[in-house]
Amino acid sequence: MAEEFPFEISPMFEGERIRKDGMFVELAGPKAVGFELVSATDMDEVEDGKFTLIGPDISEMEEGARYPFAMTYKIAGELVEADLESIVERRNHEFQNYIQGMMHLNQRDDIWVRIGKDAIEKGLTSFEQVAKAIMMLFKNELPFIEKVEAVYYTDEAEINKEIESIRDIYTGRDERTRNLHDEDVDTFYGCSLCASFAPTSVCVITPDRIALCGAINWFDGRAAAKVDPEGPQFAIPKGDVIDAESGEYTGVNEVAEKLSSGEYDRIRLHSFLEYPHTSCGCFEVVGYYIPEVDGIGWVDRDFTGTAPNGLQFSTMAGQTGGGKQVVGFLGIGVQYFRSPKFIQADGGWDRVVWMPKMLKDKVSEDIPDYIRDKIATEEDVTDVESLRNFLKDKDHPILERWEEEEEVEKEASAAPQAEFTAPQAGFTASQMQMPTNFAPSAPMVGGGGGNGGVKVILKNAKMSVDRIIIKKLD
Amino acid sequence: MSNVPKGQISIEELENVHITIGKIVGAIEEKYEKTEAGGMTPKPGVSALRDWDHSLLSRYQPVYTPMCDQCCYCTFGKCDLTGNKEGACGINMEGHQAREFLLRVITGAAAHSGHGRHILHYLTDKYGKDHPIDVGPSNLLAPNIQTVTGIEPKTLGDLEPAIEYVEEQLTQLLATVHMGQEGAAIDFESKALHGGMLDHVGMEISDLAQISCLGMPKSDPEAPLAEIGMGCIDATKPMLLAIGHNVAGVANIIDYMEEKGIADQVELGGLCCTAIDMTRYQMDQGGVPHAKVVGTLAKELKMIRSGIPDVIVVDEQCVRADVLQEASRLSIPVITTNDKIMYGLPNRSNDNVDDIIEDLTSGKEKGALVLDLDLLGELAPRLTLEMSPIRKEKGIKALPNEEELKVLIDKCVQCNACELVCPNNLPIMKAMEIGADGDFTKFEFVHDQCAGCGRCDQACPKEIPVLDVIEKASQKAIMEEKGHIRSGRGQISDPDIRAEGVNLVMGTTPGIIALVGCSNYPDGTKDLYKMADEMLRRNYIVLTSGCSAMDLGMYKDENGETLYEKYPSKFLGGNLINVGSCVSNSHITGTAIKVAAIFAQRNITGNFEETADYIMNRIGAVGVAWGAYSQKAASIGTGCNRYGIPVVVGPHGSKYRRALIGKPYVEEDWKVFDARNGEEMPISASPEFLLTTVETVEELMPMLAKNCIRPSDNNMGRMIKLTHYMELSQKYLGHMPEDWYKFVRSETDLPLAKREELLKILEKDQGWEIDWKRKKILSGPTTKLDVTAQPTNLKRLCKGEC
Repeated sequence: MAEEFPFEISPMFEGERIRKDGMFVELAGPKAVGFELVSATDMDEVEDGKFTLIGPDISEMEEGARYPFAMTYKIAGELVEADLESIVERRNHEFQNYIQGMMHLNQRDDIWVRIGKDAIEKGLTSFEQVAKAIMMLFKNELPFIEKVEAVYYTDEAEINKEIESIRDIYTGRDERTRNLHDEDVDTFYGCSLCASFAPTSVCVITPDRIALCGAINWFDGRAAAKVDPEGPQFAIPKGDVIDAESGEYTGVNEVAEKLSSGEYDRIRLHSFLEYPHTSCGCFEVVGYYIPEVDGIGWVDRDFTGTAPNGLQFSTMAGQTGGGKQVVGFLGIGVQYFRSPKFIQADGGWDRVVWMPKMLKDKVSEDIPDYIRDKIATEEDVTDVESLRNFLKDKDHPILERWEEEEEVEKEASAAPQAEFTAPQAGFTASQMQMPTNFAPSAPMVGGGGGNGGVKVILKNAKMSVDRIIIKKLD
Repeated sequence: MSNVPKGQISIEELENVHITIGKIVGAIEEKYEKTEAGGMTPKPGVSALRDWDHSLLSRYQPVYTPMCDQCCYCTFGKCDLTGNKEGACGINMEGHQAREFLLRVITGAAAHSGHGRHILHYLTDKYGKDHPIDVGPSNLLAPNIQTVTGIEPKTLGDLEPAIEYVEEQLTQLLATVHMGQEGAAIDFESKALHGGMLDHVGMEISDLAQISCLGMPKSDPEAPLAEIGMGCIDATKPMLLAIGHNVAGVANIIDYMEEKGIADQVELGGLCCTAIDMTRYQMDQGGVPHAKVVGTLAKELKMIRSGIPDVIVVDEQCVRADVLQEASRLSIPVITTNDKIMYGLPNRSNDNVDDIIEDLTSGKEKGALVLDLDLLGELAPRLTLEMSPIRKEKGIKALPNEEELKVLIDKCVQCNACELVCPNNLPIMKAMEIGADGDFTKFEFVHDQCAGCGRCDQACPKEIPVLDVIEKASQKAIMEEKGHIRSGRGQISDPDIRAEGVNLVMGTTPGIIALVGCSNYPDGTKDLYKMADEMLRRNYIVLTSGCSAMDLGMYKDENGETLYEKYPSKFLGGNLINVGSCVSNSHITGTAIKVAAIFAQRNITGNFEETADYIMNRIGAVGVAWGAYSQKAASIGTGCNRYGIPVVVGPHGSKYRRALIGKPYVEEDWKVFDARNGEEMPISASPEFLLTTVETVEELMPMLAKNCIRPSDNNMGRMIKLTHYMELSQKYLGHMPEDWYKFVRSETDLPLAKREELLKILEKDQGWEIDWKRKKILSGPTTKLDVTAQPTNLKRLCKGEC
């Protein structure tokens, strides 16, 4: 098998960079046209293992030159379907990098390939050798591919002839992905890969919810479950809808109970405060509930400062994870900000009050226009009090949630101002695992009373005591 | 308000007041209490983790290779223990060998924790008990301390009870070395594992304290590069050489020189871990390190013999016992600064700096004991500036000149005495032989491999100073000895671990290789370079520390780059990370603990056994102590072992006289429980050992890949690990490993590029049943792939057990 090829195939070459001086030829890339495409085809239209090259082959190429380059693969099989095309296509990138002396960057019509001089010295002469290896790997990794045929192009005119229609295919795929929602499918996918480190983690992947790690979307799950239904990615029949808004389904709950060994039996896919999805450990962003404003803040791994609640990413991240359901904190992948169902159960973006500037900029396009400027960053506020003022000034939709509270306040003007608004959602404070200095502060009344001296009345005071030294009186 | 009368002040009312109290000290004794959240064994005593040890030792049975078959511990003996004989006290060979190993481990642990005690005291005096522990953006600040003792330290003061615990336990362990105590080898072994675990606590205390107080990089992947090598030392400047492991005193020297603006007049260099820590000092904001690194212990004698240093300051650990004699011959005054090494010198700690300088410059005294480190800060640089011209004027000649060299080489009678005593059997005679004709290439080769012990000098019947000859003949090569080392970054932070989690899970980062240990290599620094480069190219994370970290900075590739320049240093696959000095080794076990705490939310607090159980079954990490020779290397490795992390030692490691090796062919040894239901499940035999020795790098490479395999691997992880195992075996040993199929649980574990070919072999050679249409294995594997299975060695963690 592998010995037939004049190159080694191993994941160890994945990170291999071919620099200009070690390069034999450059294919496609920023200065030449190119693309890659996998298309699902009928069985009788594919001649298994066939390779066609349109244009000059490697042996006819001039050292140091740049050529246009396109790769197309037709795949067929009983289980092959159009939804799997992009998954197989991405493997082309991975597998070409497995080949020693080949570098493949980017995807689709942005591909950028280099072949190293070393590979030529070792006997690489034709694209046929490359295509055969890739086809072999496709079939090994994805046995639902029963037949595969490859056509490569190095002829500019031919590529230009195809490229517009190819771009339409990409656009069509993107639209399908964008328009595919939880309600459109009857199967979700579960992933237990993380269980090797986070034993009770259950990751539910739906069209509107990418895996927490960001590495596996619904299409990936679908492909993997086809390859090996008993493998780490498996189908979860959606079952009955319990609550579409928060994303609760009987099928998901059943799987949750089974995989967590009964630890929990409900998961709401798009909920923050009630039965949230579990978090493993590698989440990129952690969301945290801010009781003082009844809103949710998000902080990402790269942010080294402290959030308005005075805590750092790692402190909050430490509260959740390990495949546990923790109310009040939620780990997510950055991609989830792009989901139309983003924490839908809790008010979606209307509930978001704070993000680090870098993170906000990164997902800026996905934040609805009306609220973009109303979400504070570390440049706007530093603590909960200034956050509160910021939200008021900007007329953040969260204010609607405060109204009820303020009315209560007016009525009971004699009572101390409640600083902590009970969350609307139905969980008790004891359910929330928060750092101790995060706990709602009830008004404190100094003891003693005593006689003589002075009386002190503190209003709206904030005291920070580094340490109290108590000494016995002699 | 001046007319407010004195008296009691009462606060009548508080409105909307938010009070945060950091710490209350004084009235209430803070006491660690076993809370609901705390684990089962905070501050475990000698017997608390015995069950865990015994279960480890039943799979990984001790193998002893006695170097000496007598016991000479007491005057009952000496006793011959060969042929199953017992000694006068009743001890047998196994028991005594295990006891020897225990002694080695606790000696190493004591060295680190003694260092920890010293630096903690010193820094607490200087910065106060309440100085915060500040080691980077982590929630889990002290993984080893927290796991073992249950203490979650936030300040220097909080480290105190942790070091007290270590000291108390070490005393208990040392007591059992006395005659007439423990009789069973297995319990000596359990005690050794206990000592190793304590060592990691002691090391962590040292490093947390110094990182927090001395401005060392805090989990910083961009920690600066420092110059390393004898060739980078500017011999034209007055030179101050620091040797040892405890940077407290040198920090004062650096401060004094900065303050007086004389830093650029003095060449400050270091040997051993003090050198690494000098390059970490005040580097948390980046910048150019305040000192250069000469190298490891292997360069100690060579550096002194070069005659370049004008003053030598020593602190503790791995400092040659003959520094004073060697230095005095060359009129280099030696200042000892720590209780552990005093060389019989007069104590000048309370004397006037000028008086001390007078006595040393005049040659009246050879050196001084200065325990006051503030005094040292001023004394050492001033003395260096004064000694340099004096030594120049005296015309101190260190190495022989060219004519003398020729005479010395010609004296050689090729008697073989030097080679016989050389730890690495270096071809000294051959070097002398061709050196006589003026060809010094062989000398350069010898110099490169030489660990600088100086035994050849003593052995020579012709009284040739062999080391001096080697060094003189290699001057050209020595001038070229210049490299770079990334100054230690400290811990791996929590966010670092989260960021890499997905790759560890997906197998794209197949494992973690820790290159640690001393510098007694059979093939110089090249061995280390080869290992690191191969594993880095395969996308393993390579962690390093101490001497290994230094030697990795000494070898350059064809582009003149060291691995530190070639590979980045984040906690990611294919990255090379120097955690720091010897005591930074605790961050390697600390990383494994953090993985358990972060990904599985394991409650690690005072919960050693469960934490170790997680690490052993899930985290693919292997330690390599290639040139290990110190007792500290033994204790560091043994600490890893108790966490279930396997360690390989290089050829000289066999002299530790003991290994912990599993038997892959004994089926019942390779079973764990599935925590979901308590059923026994068979696992593949990896790690295959906890401590073993290998002879060659070639033998080592496939072993590293294989021993990163863990029962919990998902199919992607196993596939990649197996791919590297097979490839490394073929590359370095020229054949497929014999046992590869034993690690295959399903077809998805097979390397992608060879899946079909391997399925054929499995069918033909192993008689496995294959469904060729679906390319699926129907029967054959002895272990099952079920990623949701929860492998554990602890029955009590299984559902329904408690």
